[in-house]
Amino acid sequence: MEATVAHIERILAIVFGIVVFFVAIIALRNDWKSQGIENQVFKIMLGLLALGAILGILAALGVLIGKGVA
Amino acid sequence: MAVASVSHGGYSGAMTEEPDQLYVETRELRIQGFLLFMVSDLVLFSSFIFAYLYLRNSGQGWPAGGPKLDIALAAVNSIVLFGSGATMHFALENWKHRNFTKFANWIVMTIILGAGFLTGQVLEYMHIGARWSSGIFGASFYTLTGMHGLHVFAGIIYLTVLLLQAAQGKYTFTKYTGLTLGTLYWHFVDVIWVVLFSIFYLL
Repeated sequence: MEATVAHIERILAIVFGIVVFFVAIIALRNDWKSQGIENQVFKIMLGLLALGAILGILAALGVLIGKGVA
Repeated sequence: MAVASVSHGGYSGAMTEEPDQLYVETRELRIQGFLLFMVSDLVLFSSFIFAYLYLRNSGQGWPAGGPKLDIALAAVNSIVLFGSGATMHFALENWKHRNFTKFANWIVMTIILGAGFLTGQVLEYMHIGARWSSGIFGASFYTLTGMHGLHVFAGIIYLTVLLLQAAQGKYTFTKYTGLTLGTLYWHFVDVIWVVLFSIFYLL
């Protein structure tokens, strides 16, 4: 049962991670030429959001797993 | 001066198309002040993160006591929070495009995803097998993730207040600094989780 739940969680993480990654990249692309200090911060944060999505996908795939993690 | 009519969610009134100079200057100061607040919050998190990393690298065999973190739950929970960052971005973009209904839908979705993330955190706490008092790992984990969880909880309240204020007409489609700051805060909470997720689950 636990294995099945974990399997579903991994699939959800991968699918939605891909969606979030592309949304962040597209939003970053659309905002690229925006001016103003808040938009510069938005760009950094959208970039980090895309990075976070990649890390989530890699963790769900089992590529990146730290010590003490099941 | 051009005047446009606005009507959304119970608010109906007149607004100017172009923000006045005083508003523009005040807006810049408010954004800079909020960014300074975020920097101070970043320093707070950084202090705890560096303390955790120092303690982690000082001891042999990590984590002491053998608690097992659930990577599958953490991954999907992280994606839920990162997804909420995307929905918050959509909310602000729809406000900029003068669509209150879509703005409200996306911000409600953000609040739901934020609440979903907190629920996932509670589930993780129930299964982790470590306590606050059980050692360095437990103390570090609960302190950092708890502090982040409090920020998410505060963010949910913040976004709810922003939604209510927007519905009451506190913001117009040309004067919406509060909504920009709310979006900045929510992105900040997301980005902090990228770091916490990395140091607890990926290192």
